[in-house]
Amino acid sequence: MLPGYPYSIVNFLHYFFFYLLFSLPLTLSYRNTKVINFAHSNFITYGMYTAVFLHGLLGNTSLPAAAAAAFLVGGSMALLNNIAVFRPLERRGASPSLVMIASMGLWIMYNYLLYMLADVAHFFSRKNFVSYSKIAYSDVPELSIAGFTLSQSFVASMLAALGLVVALYLFLEKTRLGRAMRAVSDNPVLAEVSGIPRDTIVNLTWLIAGGVAAVGGAVWTCFSGTITPQSGDAMILQVFTVSFIGGLVSLLRTGLGALAISFIENVGIAALNTYLGVPTSFRPFLTFATLLTILIASPPLGAAGGLPYRFRRRG
Amino acid sequence: MTSPSQAAVKRAFDAKLAAVAIIALVIGIAIGFAAAGAFQPTAGGQAAQPQPGAPAGGQAAQPKKTYTIGFTLPLSGELSSIGKIWEKVVYLAIEDLNREVQAYGFNVEFKAVILDDATSEEKALQNVQTFAQQGIKVVIGPAASSQVKAVKSFVDSNKIVLISPSSTAPTLAIPNDFIFRTVGSDAGQAKVLATLARQEGARKVIVFHRNDEYGNAFAGFFERYFKELGGTAVKMPYQTGLSDYAAEVASLASRVQAEGADAVVLISFDTDGGNILSHAAESPVLTKVRWFISEGPHGAAELKSPTVGEFAAKVRLLGTRPLFIANPLYEDFKARLKEKYGVDASVFCDTLYDAVKLAGWAILRAGAYDGEAIRKALVEVAKNYYGPSGWTIFDENGDKANQDYGVWAIVKTPQGYDFKDVGVYERGSIVFLEKPYP
Amino acid sequence: MIDVVGFLVSWLTLLGIYSILALTLNFESGVSGVTNFGKVLFYGVGAYTAAALTVYLVLILNGFDVGRTPPYSVEGIVALGQLAGQNPALNLALFALSLVLAFLAAGLLGYLLSYPILRVGPAFVGFTLLSSGELMRIFLQHFEPVGASKGLMSIPGPFAWVPEPRVRELAFLGVVLALLALTYVVMDRLVNSPLGRTLRAVREDEVAALCLGKHVPRLKATVLFIGSGFTGVAGALLAYYLTAVNPGMFVPAVTFNVWAMIILGGMGNLRGSLVGAVLLTLFDRLLTFLTPQLGITVISPDYVRWFSVGLLIVALLLLRPQGLLPEEPVRTPALEELEVALRGGGSG
Repeated sequence: MLPGYPYSIVNFLHYFFFYLLFSLPLTLSYRNTKVINFAHSNFITYGMYTAVFLHGLLGNTSLPAAAAAAFLVGGSMALLNNIAVFRPLERRGASPSLVMIASMGLWIMYNYLLYMLADVAHFFSRKNFVSYSKIAYSDVPELSIAGFTLSQSFVASMLAALGLVVALYLFLEKTRLGRAMRAVSDNPVLAEVSGIPRDTIVNLTWLIAGGVAAVGGAVWTCFSGTITPQSGDAMILQVFTVSFIGGLVSLLRTGLGALAISFIENVGIAALNTYLGVPTSFRPFLTFATLLTILIASPPLGAAGGLPYRFRRRG
Repeated sequence: MTSPSQAAVKRAFDAKLAAVAIIALVIGIAIGFAAAGAFQPTAGGQAAQPQPGAPAGGQAAQPKKTYTIGFTLPLSGELSSIGKIWEKVVYLAIEDLNREVQAYGFNVEFKAVILDDATSEEKALQNVQTFAQQGIKVVIGPAASSQVKAVKSFVDSNKIVLISPSSTAPTLAIPNDFIFRTVGSDAGQAKVLATLARQEGARKVIVFHRNDEYGNAFAGFFERYFKELGGTAVKMPYQTGLSDYAAEVASLASRVQAEGADAVVLISFDTDGGNILSHAAESPVLTKVRWFISEGPHGAAELKSPTVGEFAAKVRLLGTRPLFIANPLYEDFKARLKEKYGVDASVFCDTLYDAVKLAGWAILRAGAYDGEAIRKALVEVAKNYYGPSGWTIFDENGDKANQDYGVWAIVKTPQGYDFKDVGVYERGSIVFLEKPYP
Repeated sequence: MIDVVGFLVSWLTLLGIYSILALTLNFESGVSGVTNFGKVLFYGVGAYTAAALTVYLVLILNGFDVGRTPPYSVEGIVALGQLAGQNPALNLALFALSLVLAFLAAGLLGYLLSYPILRVGPAFVGFTLLSSGELMRIFLQHFEPVGASKGLMSIPGPFAWVPEPRVRELAFLGVVLALLALTYVVMDRLVNSPLGRTLRAVREDEVAALCLGKHVPRLKATVLFIGSGFTGVAGALLAYYLTAVNPGMFVPAVTFNVWAMIILGGMGNLRGSLVGAVLLTLFDRLLTFLTPQLGITVISPDYVRWFSVGLLIVALLLLRPQGLLPEEPVRTPALEELEVALRGGGSG
């Protein structure tokens, strides 16, 4: 009998969907642009807060509307980052670490901008936005299967995640634009030489990455009991962990990483807690231990730009 | 590669450019600094220019003495949801304080300087140092016990009175220092919570608590008292600072099943409490046991949502909190805070309000704006002060000496769900004033 | 009005500690190419080593039974407070001892971690170290002998016996600056030497360096040993400065702060790291005096402060993408001879 059954299984799938929504865009953005983007957590948080502001200020209870708005907000944020900061830096020959730190500066700015927006919203509406409760949407149903109910957020995240996977697969495999994108991620110079407009592809990548992460955030608002401006930051390490298992370039491995991490975090910790008495507060420890084990046992190729170095014995 | 002499010239130029850039930056900031200094009323009680916003009476003749109190609040970071509400409480308290001292005929004005410490220990120390360097001798905050520990040595050496409204760590109960806490120890509350659980019929409970000093200490006290009353408590800590606790709640559910517990005792703050309760509402196992809660989530808007409200009714949720029952000052404070600033009074707002009032009166009573004098005066003022958080008298460690406790529930009202105080702890048992759940 | 001396002392002390971090990080990542995202791991190990050693030894050497009054209990803390000023020789000896042990502990940990790092490949060094840092933090939060989530407090500082607080602060500042100077000299000698040249070669192209016969694993292990060792010393200084340690102080955000300092100042240039550290710490400190005076009530004025820090980072990077000070050629005696010869020949 699995510990926590059946709810740890449900949670495991639920988190799997969310990790897909958060980490696949991150992997996509890295492999096309080679930028480690700290501001990714802001896409997620701003997606959440788009839904929150729509609900708190305008009384919106429609999840598709909130998700669409979140997509626009997240996508434009990502585009703005690229046009205003990343592209000029790359044109001036900045190293990847430099662009990473620039994204860190942007992360700080976006974080505090959100606090300021929450303050302004409070000033006008007398509602506290620094900590917001779960939103119950009116147009997403709950499902009842075999006696227990799958909540609204399960249905929404499942649809969104599966939709994302299918859409990405079709886009990248079947369309010309998608193949062009794959060309840019494999070898940017060669792609540009063969006539693919790299700048357009990069902009499109950012739009998708920011938009999808924000949609994930919007769906998160009907899952989590409290939304704060810290919500994105609190989970960004796990999101990066999942992407890193995929080597930051392989979408399939990222999906597998999402599966592994959500399994460990839900079923694994429940098992360890019930059978071995490991305290539940060890959950983040398990996440990182899993990452390290996977990385050391089977280092992903691709992001290292070639064969990873293996310690060689002298002579 | 450039030849060494060219490289040397380039280096020299770059070094000069860098030096110029930095000097320009520093000069610019220093100018801003000085400009701010020209506008800022001096701290430390020197006479200031007549304030343009003089009180009703419009007397610009007599210059008012201005005293500054420093506040280091968690306006961002993990405790920001509490910190933002505290900011409004500070404004309200300073207004009330100024009105009161004027009514008593003192020609003084208190001013608040608020800095954000992002719930970080190092930044709290930096803020306190900034206050000290501006000559401020009374600081209110920080919120977390770990932050108080980081600033303790500085305030003790530099004789700055520090009043924390929310730090409850037993390891800070140290006599003869400059740290005062207007909040009582959790040991008393743990006893009340244990009594409540026992009285309501719980014999085996799972204590689901934060894995930080507050949660661990509280859980330890609870375990001890519950055992004395004849029950068994199993501790289950959870990691703090995560964005979501669904996995922990699932583990809790399986533990409840495995141990055959009949109640869950939740020791948390507002954001994690709201998250946990809304996940627990979806679990068939957890909606069949009783729930008892500490004061952390009390007052938080997340708990007034329909999900949690219905959950509370299902499990007949009861919580404890420090409270002097039927304290009209608290009700008045809560109403005014909501009306003027639109926020609900959450946990520790009353202790913060009283900390501000105590600080103000202590400065006046001290006669000199000096740390030692203010410290002595504070102890005296607190003996006679009764505010929204009740009687503020300090014990020998500078912590709140006396505390009564009450029991609260989440009840359905015509406007939705709200918190209601439904009982008191009196002489070893809980006396209910009304039945919150049918 | 404003206590300028106090400001300078408090700013310079923290600047000193951060500068040590920035110098070592630049040595590891800027010069040698070991992208260290886990700086805070060694920082924390150094801090906890110093803290645990000091509080336990002070209690034990004064006859307390640490089984019954552990240093993280109230009785232990009160005892530490009373014992702090009594024995100057003991305080100073423990200070020196804990600095050495912090260096060794952190350095050894860095050396050991170089093995898994080599296995995962250069691109994942950063995240591997970051995860190790988080693992350590969560472990410390559960490890009872160092206080678990309570942490340790009331750590007796080296100058606790000095009655005047200002003198105490100045003495501590002196020690910090001395250690900073030591770190700078060591780093400078290492960077401007054949070893430094080799490290740069490894940074640029590991495979080529291997082909030329350089033992890359040993080099990386050495770099991590030295860099982490000095980071541990910085951690020990932090522990004494705050007189308290807590696992929550050692979060990844600290590492990224230091990264911002070295990127702003210029990767590969040691003086650049100092410039970057000065910029970030000074800007923030000065703003804390300004923002409360802004008189805005719609938003918390302090948000403007943090926002400006982020804006400063982005703006400076856009203005000077190479950092403020560019990387310099390796200054070995051979180079100096060459320069003299060229200058002499040119001006002839």
